[in-house]
Amino acid sequence: MTPLLEIKNLNVAFNTERGQIRPVRDVSMSIFPGQTLAVVGESGCGKSVTALSILRLIPQPPGKILGGQILFEGRDLVALREEEMQRVRGKEIAMIFQEPMTSLNPVYTIGDQIVEAVKLHQGVTSREAYQIAEQSLNDVGISDPHRRIHEYPHQMSGGMRQRVMIAMALSCRPKLLIADEPTTALDVTIQAQILELLRKLQRETGMAIMLITHDLGVVAENADAVAVMYASRVVETATVETLFDQPQHPYTEGLFRSVPKLNENAARLTTIPGSVPNPAKFPSGCKFHPRCARTRKLAASAPADQTTELKSGGEIIRVLTRCVNEEPELREIQPRQWAACHQIASYNSAKVTPPVVDHKREVTTEHSTEAMQLEAAKGQTA
Amino acid sequence: MRDERTVPRSWLARAMLDTVGKTSARLGLIWISVIAFCAVFAPFLANSYPILVKMNGHWSSPMAQHFTPTDVTLLVVTFAAIVLFVFLQRFRLFARLSAFAAIVVLTITLSLLFVHPPLTNVFEQYRDLAKSGDVQWALDAPIPYSPGDHLRDQFDPDRPHPWSPNSAHRMGTDQFGADISSHMIHACRVAMAVGFISTGIAMFIGIFIGGLMGYFVGLVDLLGMRLVEIFGAIPTLYLLLAFVSVFERNIYVIMAIIGATSWVGNARFVRAEFLKLRGQDFVQAAIASGLKLRSVMFRHVLPNALAPLLVSASFGIASAILAESVLSFLGLGLPVGEASWGALLNQAVGAGGAFQWWLGTYPGIAIFLTVFAYNLIGEALRDALDPKLRGAG
Repeated sequence: MTPLLEIKNLNVAFNTERGQIRPVRDVSMSIFPGQTLAVVGESGCGKSVTALSILRLIPQPPGKILGGQILFEGRDLVALREEEMQRVRGKEIAMIFQEPMTSLNPVYTIGDQIVEAVKLHQGVTSREAYQIAEQSLNDVGISDPHRRIHEYPHQMSGGMRQRVMIAMALSCRPKLLIADEPTTALDVTIQAQILELLRKLQRETGMAIMLITHDLGVVAENADAVAVMYASRVVETATVETLFDQPQHPYTEGLFRSVPKLNENAARLTTIPGSVPNPAKFPSGCKFHPRCARTRKLAASAPADQTTELKSGGEIIRVLTRCVNEEPELREIQPRQWAACHQIASYNSAKVTPPVVDHKREVTTEHSTEAMQLEAAKGQTA
Repeated sequence: MRDERTVPRSWLARAMLDTVGKTSARLGLIWISVIAFCAVFAPFLANSYPILVKMNGHWSSPMAQHFTPTDVTLLVVTFAAIVLFVFLQRFRLFARLSAFAAIVVLTITLSLLFVHPPLTNVFEQYRDLAKSGDVQWALDAPIPYSPGDHLRDQFDPDRPHPWSPNSAHRMGTDQFGADISSHMIHACRVAMAVGFISTGIAMFIGIFIGGLMGYFVGLVDLLGMRLVEIFGAIPTLYLLLAFVSVFERNIYVIMAIIGATSWVGNARFVRAEFLKLRGQDFVQAAIASGLKLRSVMFRHVLPNALAPLLVSASFGIASAILAESVLSFLGLGLPVGEASWGALLNQAVGAGGAFQWWLGTYPGIAIFLTVFAYNLIGEALRDALDPKLRGAG
């Protein structure tokens, strides 16, 4: 099967007053039709810039795509002219944003905003466009769309507006939907509804979703494949099952440890020490080494000539010299799992291959919900 | 089609309603409406030619026969505006605005082509006919004198003009014998036109240049700001004086010069708004849905940037009116004989140096009230649009 979207060695730079920064380096990932790829990472790790680069929405200048390819159905989006890109945006690839409160234009009714895109991409009359808009509002579960289509954004709640954004994005039946933290700004019950809605619409239309999030719960429920990003690079990518069962990269492990668990009675939540480095001054070698628990642990028992002392967050730590000097590449650790860390046992023998995770999770969501309910019922009877 | 009970209003519409709800703004609007009414219906209000007349058994309208293309255009355009914006509200605003623009252009063209008033005006014609008893019935305008009517039939060597206010001429006459009240009413046209046309030009240039600067930033912004600084350094009044002293006097050139030098403030406002808005999510969303640059800039960013511009426009109108009055007062404004408040002020000091109060007071009050009214509206708009005073929509 050929991927719908294939990002190959994407490099993005921003020219700032204090020199060039590189928020995205050698990023490769792929999405297959009907697949949900979750892109995970802390704030500032480059996931949003990657997403914006796909639609060429990064401000240029100061932004610049230095190199790499973004192949959408075989066409390189990086090389397209702006007018051609306008036909891709909205029609082939749509995007929904994090903040539904500000993503709709306050001076137009929601109908006007949906109709404008529909008319542009589908070449229909105003009357037909209104019908399509009403239908797509209906599809996202807005009651009484005939009346609400004439409402202004300020008359709606956050969850409603995000539904409108989704309706707008899906009104032209795109093949790929980029959802940049679509539920971060919403409260938890609305989050669940919106994600359920996205899953339902994905089943109905067969579109692919690139889901950008930092919520591992969202990943576990929705993703087929996962790409973990840290400090401008993809550090691990795998199927969702493999990643949750056998995380390879210490950063991924750290993310999992940071998820609070109900059955643990901890006074402090576990965190990854330190913070994502500023793109203007990334550390040398593996960009994760100042925060990495694995390299510290291994350095403790390693010969002194293989370790280096350095300052991190005010304390002196001892790490492996290789992690400081040499940047790891994304290598195929096992089938359908790629990771970039020197300290994975099979890293040295693994090959550098383009990460292509062609995988669709077996269980549909209803099943998983049912299974969860079954589990819960078992737990009660036991 | 729409549910009338819950007519949703956009943020701007609500701000407008808030503005109109203020007493001060309402007073301002009432005064501007009076001026606008006088401007449009000037020939009905002050005219030497009767509105309707029955002569030798025939009905006719001498007023209509002496309509100028301006009279016809103003009447048709006002009528069209009322029909389009009051009675046809169920159509989309954009469609109505386009229809209105088309009607304006068409009326101007047609009236210039087909409306030909008599080349020579004999203002006393119907007064003479009435005296000789040829007129059986006549409906005169409330002020039966045109501003160009120098009362040649009432010439009296013992009573030279200007006359102070009397029962026939409530506001007196000027040095040529023209009725001041008539002059005042016809001068409303210049006051309205100078304000709106020059501010319109300033808004158009300001939006265009400010929008480009704010949206594209970088080099465009750098060059645009230099242009703004150059134009900001031109003193409007001196440019006007220099121009008028070299070329012939022309109200449209005056409007164009006022407009072409006062767009600087608008450009700065629009630039600031565009800079703020270009990074907003809904602009990103508009680009992400594949809209063209033109549509993103003018359909999505511009309407959100209009608020501060409305405020600056209402103050701009006021200062344009003042500029024209100053020019006319200096005797460098309109061609001689055309009605303007400033031109009346100019005559307030008579030949012998005596102050003729009625030539100073009435136009002075009119200028003051008009400028004040626009400032009141601008002030109320600014309060209504200030996000600190109201929950930002």
